Amino acid sequence: MTDLRFDLLDADGALGEAVASLHEHSRADFLRTAMVGSGALVALFARPASTEARTRDVEILNFALTLEYLQAAFYTEVERIGSLDGALKRQSRVVGAHERAHVRAFRQALGRSAVARPRFDFRGATESPERFRRTAVAFEDLAVAAYKGQAGRIRSRAYLASALAVHAVEARHAAWIRRLAGVSPVLEAFDEPAGKTEVLRAVRATNFIAKTRSRRSPTYTG
Amino acid sequence: MAAVVGTATLAAGGAGALLAAGEEAAPQPVRAPAIERLPSAPAPALRIGEPVPLGDGRHEVRWTPVRRRVSARARPDPAARAVAELATRTPEGTTNIVLALEHREGADGALWVRARLPVLPNGTTGWIPREALGGYEVVDTRLVVDLEHTVATLMRGGRRVFRAPIGIGTATNPTPRGEFYVRNELRRYASPMYGPLAFGTSARSETLTDWPGGGYVGIHGTDRPDLLPGRVSHGCIRLRNEDILELGRLMPVGTPVTVQ
Repeated sequence: MTDLRFDLLDADGALGEAVASLHEHSRADFLRTAMVGSGALVALFARPASTEARTRDVEILNFALTLEYLQAAFYTEVERIGSLDGALKRQSRVVGAHERAHVRAFRQALGRSAVARPRFDFRGATESPERFRRTAVAFEDLAVAAYKGQAGRIRSRAYLASALAVHAVEARHAAWIRRLAGVSPVLEAFDEPAGKTEVLRAVRATNFIAKTRSRRSPTYTG
Repeated sequence: MAAVVGTATLAAGGAGALLAAGEEAAPQPVRAPAIERLPSAPAPALRIGEPVPLGDGRHEVRWTPVRRRVSARARPDPAARAVAELATRTPEGTTNIVLALEHREGADGALWVRARLPVLPNGTTGWIPREALGGYEVVDTRLVVDLEHTVATLMRGGRRVFRAPIGIGTATNPTPRGEFYVRNELRRYASPMYGPLAFGTSARSETLTDWPGGGYVGIHGTDRPDLLPGRVSHGCIRLRNEDILELGRLMPVGTPVTVQ
């Protein structure tokens, strides 16, 4: 179960690039900032900050928001489709409500700087219990690792407290779905943070783009 | 945490257990200066708030893009009869989308989705391999086109949010009845007869089948508002320009369209 690879979900988009483009950086810059520069998170709200630092900190918060979008969309879709029963259905409803609360909180904190919700393609993972279990384990493990990857770099006590609060809930989610999936809730005595490649691959692999607007002249019957 | 436990043990007189029988320990003040100096926990910067439950979803509909050219089939089975061939693009250059109705495991063990299709005969549905489709988007709007009273009504979450008089097809080229959906939105084109905005639908004229682009029925503005409401079009649904702009603000792509 732990060897689930996110690229199995297919990759036809580039969420990292989409997020980065909002800030006029390359994806590499975005990643570097998101994964290395979160210590500057403090500066945004806790002390006077340069414009550059402020911009960077917004990107970091948006990185967390993007992960929350991913999870919230996943649980929301599975609940709407109604493909689960019993304990899995209960778990998905509870966790989905948590993830949506996380999204709301990050969006409130970011205000108009919040990135827009991307479109996610879960490739059928929301349409059967087995597919759901495998993907939910992967997503929850990812979220736990991603928050942990940032925690040591956050200087703001207030934001560190928030990150730890979210991280703890994600860890409980991970243990819960792991138990339901029949795998060990805890594999190691020491939990490793996720590297940037794992995190971005996961969100990028689920992104999709549908062009629904055009400037082309209509050919409708009139 | 270990320090806290240690302090609690001292306070409870646990150290007395180390004394020899008959000895009395002198009362010791309980002191834990390191603990007392710990600051209070900082207040979190984010207010996470209560969990957010979903609504009942009664009015929600899902649409999904066609990711690769694929045959829609009569049953969820690769060997079943093909009912339509689906491209990835519309004649307007937008992503071809279908309305998802249900899903099921097929004869091949893969997931299949039954979808409403933008093909003739109108109302056709077919089964498509899930892997040929993209992610789901959800809308909770529905446009109801009343041909008898020549009026269009947009519902959102089951509540009416828009209503306007319309022009519809003539007796020779009638607007087809049935269940359809909005599949794209065009703006900033140079065709005044369509007004400032045009929605493409999955409905197709049953008389103008050789029309350029396939004879799809649009919902659009007009350069002849004086003709509305009325039976004046080749099948399209015409609105006054101010009405189509308002509809453009309210109606997302993927919205189901009922023509009755």
